[in-house]
Amino acid sequence: MKIRGYFIAASLCALSISSLSAQADADFAKANRDFAQGHFKEAISGYEALIRDGQWSANVFYDLGNAYFRAGDFGRAILNYERALALAQHHPEATANLQIARDEAHALELQASWPERYLQSATVNQYSVTAAVAFWVAAFCLAALIFTPRRSAAMISLLLVMLLVFAGAIFAIWQVERGSKGNALAIVTGKDVQARLATADTANAVLALPPGSEVKILSTRGDWTYVALPNNLRGWIPAKNAERVRL
Amino acid sequence: MGRAFLIGITAGILAAGFAFADSPSVTAVLSNSEIVVGETVELQIKVTGPGDARPPEEISVDGMEIHATGQSRQFEIHNFATSSSVTYNYTILPLRAGRFTIPPQTVRAGGNLLKTPELTLNVADSPSRPSGVRPSRGTQTQSVRASDLVFAELIVPQKTAYVGEIVPVQIRMGFDPRVRPRLIEPPEITGQGFTAQKLQESGQNSETINGRPYDVVTYKTAIAAARAGKFEVGPVKAKAQVLVPRPRSAPRSRSRSPFDLFDLDDPFSDPFFSNPFAQIGERREIEIKSEPVALEVKPLPPKAPPSFSGAIGNFTMTTDAKPKSVQVGDPITVTTAISGRGNFDRVNAPVVEDERGWHKYPPSSKFKQDDEVGISGTKTFETVLSPNEKKQSLPLLAFSYFDPVKEQYVTVRSEPIAISVQGGAVAANVAATQPGSSPPTTATRPEPAIQSTAKPQDILYQLTERPRFTESFAPIYTRRVFWGAQLIPLLALIGFAVWKIRRAKINNREAQRLAALHHEAAELMHKLRRNDASPREYYAEASRVVRVKTALASGSRGIDPNVVDAETAADTFKLNSDERDQLRRLFEQSDEWQYSGAHNGPGRISSESRREVLELIENLK
Repeated sequence: MKIRGYFIAASLCALSISSLSAQADADFAKANRDFAQGHFKEAISGYEALIRDGQWSANVFYDLGNAYFRAGDFGRAILNYERALALAQHHPEATANLQIARDEAHALELQASWPERYLQSATVNQYSVTAAVAFWVAAFCLAALIFTPRRSAAMISLLLVMLLVFAGAIFAIWQVERGSKGNALAIVTGKDVQARLATADTANAVLALPPGSEVKILSTRGDWTYVALPNNLRGWIPAKNAERVRL
Repeated sequence: MGRAFLIGITAGILAAGFAFADSPSVTAVLSNSEIVVGETVELQIKVTGPGDARPPEEISVDGMEIHATGQSRQFEIHNFATSSSVTYNYTILPLRAGRFTIPPQTVRAGGNLLKTPELTLNVADSPSRPSGVRPSRGTQTQSVRASDLVFAELIVPQKTAYVGEIVPVQIRMGFDPRVRPRLIEPPEITGQGFTAQKLQESGQNSETINGRPYDVVTYKTAIAAARAGKFEVGPVKAKAQVLVPRPRSAPRSRSRSPFDLFDLDDPFSDPFFSNPFAQIGERREIEIKSEPVALEVKPLPPKAPPSFSGAIGNFTMTTDAKPKSVQVGDPITVTTAISGRGNFDRVNAPVVEDERGWHKYPPSSKFKQDDEVGISGTKTFETVLSPNEKKQSLPLLAFSYFDPVKEQYVTVRSEPIAISVQGGAVAANVAATQPGSSPPTTATRPEPAIQSTAKPQDILYQLTERPRFTESFAPIYTRRVFWGAQLIPLLALIGFAVWKIRRAKINNREAQRLAALHHEAAELMHKLRRNDASPREYYAEASRVVRVKTALASGSRGIDPNVVDAETAADTFKLNSDERDQLRRLFEQSDEWQYSGAHNGPGRISSESRREVLELIENLK
């Protein structure tokens, strides 16, 4: 009786997921049709509805970026290409269109530090898995050394190598996460945005930020956000004029 | 000891200051730019910087007599940076009225040849001074005139300038040393139509003007006209408190002050100054004011080059780039230094003449000024350029300025810098397959192939494939599933540890069992060698020894000694037939004595039988 109940619940759950997925596919197809017919605002609404429903994928963000590009909103186009790349680092179409949008908008990019440039060859997730594997191999080596009366030099060497790999992976995660493509990366979506020395519209300007420019959010105070700028300076910009890449 | 330490520290600071001192520079200034025939004016040539200086021995200008009158040396310490300067004084006596130009003079300092700026001196024919506020002779008054005790002078070296051009300005404020002045408001250049930089005090000296001694403070600044037209610079205004004698209630005859050598009605002829205790003086606030100076400002000529940003002066440009060998997309830092004299606040980074194939980032800049007011110096820009495709040289950089001497725009360009760019073009600039408004007809995701016929700078197609599973921005280490997965190796590790511990315990029990068997065998052998056991006990112990030895010899098979019989023992020890028979007999006799209840033979075991049994048991190895 109990097993039958579980079976029914699982079936209902699978049916519900399948139905939701079918609905999302239909919405995605409609947004694509709107885009093809040149109805970019409707296409944007369709893609954004999918994103609001949590249907996040690199292709949806990429298509939304294209729709914004066609609508002339280069800031949000760049934001969504960046989001597509945040989900799939090696997304060739998003990489290509991002460069085009940046050229069109004359957007400014944050400069990556030299360790970050090398470390960006892998993703944070890859570093995380590497760290976990190295940690457990090191843990097993240590256990073997404790429970085996004879200390093997090969085992000790493996333990040391794994500990080094673990430490390196943790450093890479820290460096990439706090770097120019890290958790704090935001894109300027407003027009005529000026980074200022203080939280006032009358404060002296530090840098004019074209739409699509990259900034790194350092802190937020009320309606203003303190950001690191592409020219290695820092300044305040209105919070509404920049959006974080990671949702 | 402490004193020596202090001297050492001071010497170190001075040495460091000299070590970081700037290259030598020279300035020249006239104590007054407008005088009348018969008056003298002082020319000061000041050489700042390390090394010995050799001033011009003779300055000859037609219509003027110029004689060297001495030199003075000054040391200054600002924020632990020391500088030294030597001032060479010349007295100029004009022989006739007119406009005189003192040409640039060559000064050798620290191995460098420096040139002074050209100076202009206007000499009036009238014996009376022009309307200035410097003390004048022959003014007859009975009251003490504070304005006679101080003066201000505004020196603008040029009469015409262009809009935005930086014009250096000097302000001289003289005080009679006896008034013990206290400046309340520093000098300020009044007037409209120009901007003035912050005043910098450049030095103090003592001068005798019209027979009166003055302490003269010199300030330097620079002005820049904001619009064209004729307007007046100044007057310079300042406020100071000075000490003057109280006015007397009634006129009286008085003795002449020793300072009033020429009967000039010097206010200090008052007895207060000759005897401070005779009368109490008072501090009075006075305003010091100079004469304004006319300046004609001309507009910049039209048709400025595209790279002109408002820089006016005379500049040179040098450019360098690092690294010179990069991959496509890598940054190249281009350093441009613009040096010279002019309005550096309007000097912007040089422009890239052809940006095609390059991505340019905003430049950074820093300015190192070579003088007190920032008219001359070097502004360095760092611009990051990133090639989007293969390139063999950097794009040319252009910087334009207006030269007020030549009265024309000048554009300087960087020298071509060869670089090596490796790698293919960035996909974004060339990769485009279809216009974005016409998505692919199939639902599959096509490869982003590069097509040479594609329209450049157009985005790639829509992607119509949506993955089954949603993706997350959260890094994997923030997700529960990641930490849940760690339970698998954790459980494996715990299992491994438990298994190892259990194995260790089992091994320990086996060792204990073997030790007990060894101990039992030794005990029984000891008893068998004694001669006091009954046959029943003897054979029982003998068979037990054989069982125990068999169990010990069985090793990993772990045979229980209680189940060992004669055949098992014989097989374990691989005995021959005689020994096998002996062993069988031993077990039979043991069983017989054990289970028959009474003995069927003699009450004691013969020594022969005992020896045979012992030999048999000892040979079981």
